[in-house]
Amino acid sequence: MTESWGQFKSFEGKKFKALDPEFTAEVSKLIGGQDLTTCFQCAKCSAGCPVSDKVNIQIHEVMRMLVFGLTEVLQTDMIWLCTTCYTCQERCPQGIDITDILFGLKNMAYRKGIAPLGYVTSAKALYDTGKLYSPTEWEREDLGLDDVPELDVAETKKMLDKTKLRKLQEDM
Amino acid sequence: MTQSYEVFLGCAIPSRFNNYESSMRAVAKELGVKLIDFDGASCCGTVVLKSIDEHSWLSMGGRNLALAEQRGHDIVTPCNGCFGSLKDTAHVLHDKKQLKAVNKVLSGLGLEYTGKVKVRHFVEVLYDLKDEIAKKIVKPLDGLKIAFHPGCHLIRPSNVAGFDDPELPNKVDELLELTGAKSVPWGLKLKCCGSPLLIASEDIATEILREKMKSAKEAGANCVVTNCPACHTQFDVQAIGLKDENDESLELPALFITQILGAAMGLDSEQIGFELNRVSLDPINDILGL
Repeated sequence: MTESWGQFKSFEGKKFKALDPEFTAEVSKLIGGQDLTTCFQCAKCSAGCPVSDKVNIQIHEVMRMLVFGLTEVLQTDMIWLCTTCYTCQERCPQGIDITDILFGLKNMAYRKGIAPLGYVTSAKALYDTGKLYSPTEWEREDLGLDDVPELDVAETKKMLDKTKLRKLQEDM
Repeated sequence: MTQSYEVFLGCAIPSRFNNYESSMRAVAKELGVKLIDFDGASCCGTVVLKSIDEHSWLSMGGRNLALAEQRGHDIVTPCNGCFGSLKDTAHVLHDKKQLKAVNKVLSGLGLEYTGKVKVRHFVEVLYDLKDEIAKKIVKPLDGLKIAFHPGCHLIRPSNVAGFDDPELPNKVDELLELTGAKSVPWGLKLKCCGSPLLIASEDIATEILREKMKSAKEAGANCVVTNCPACHTQFDVQAIGLKDENDESLELPALFITQILGAAMGLDSEQIGFELNRVSLDPINDILGL
């Protein structure tokens, strides 16, 4: 099965019809996006990135694509293979919140159905149970640990109905 | 003065690493830190939900923060993921527009977040008590050579985490060395463990882990120590059976900081929960007194 994500694999032979300044403006409005256009391509982000040697498109290239307004950026593997280690953000000489911008890009990609399957199943688990994993009771009994205090799932469901978590991919 | 906190366990610890919770509680009790159960906690939000939808993530985290705030308690968590996510939530909610949007969601639950509650990692609390810890070391762990892995979200982004130097952290190492153990320098110490990629690509997560384990072995470590259940999943679950290109095992005993401190403080070994460590502790049994 072809993955829904990471299908933009190389700049080789690609022709871009138009650069989209609207897209750059939209990304600049994301959480952490305010300094996006100050990127001067020093590539210090990619130098410290733990997956630079494992991705098709590196993080400094993602930054360039954003400044150029190339929406194809949502199809790069870099956005879903970011480990969220924040090394790039910590070291950026322009103070750009690079890792935070990637989160916003993932939100955009997710709404278009461009995401690893694990995220779709996690969204469902978080909605259904309010948690990602359940306690392992026998271990807790062996160690004499009390039960984990209960969560009223109706409360988190009510909240996630309001934020429309289960309807994000509706327009696909 | 007795410190007290609501303890935010998150999802991973009660599911996979009950020995972390048990050893944390034993150490907290010995040091007189009161841990109050966190009623009604959901998932912290995590980078997973932040990746899917930031508004849902902020609401999920905001609800947890508001619950503790309403009860007048600060929060302590032993999980880097929960620490990073809750602190990041509080950081983003400094923005009035974001705060208003989240409180609109929370009002439906009769809650409001105002920004008063503090979130701390359990190792921060321990660091404040390092003099007391030093006095309680009764079983020194001489010969233990620790590759300590701080994990990313304990220290980065530093303007959010606010705990230690993001490029040269040493606070938890200081705590570990109170026990007589040595925290060895290792090349890839600050590199991500790869755990967040298990959801997108287990192959790449494993490649990163292989690089980490090689680095720890090359540095002469005889164990890995973490303060995060997500990182620990790599070192104590995914590392099982992991080999290098010469077919040499890359496993190293993997322990939680609270297990190290608990052992050196002479606490009940059942509560420290060594039985639940998955990679064999045989190579360091003598040092741990098992």
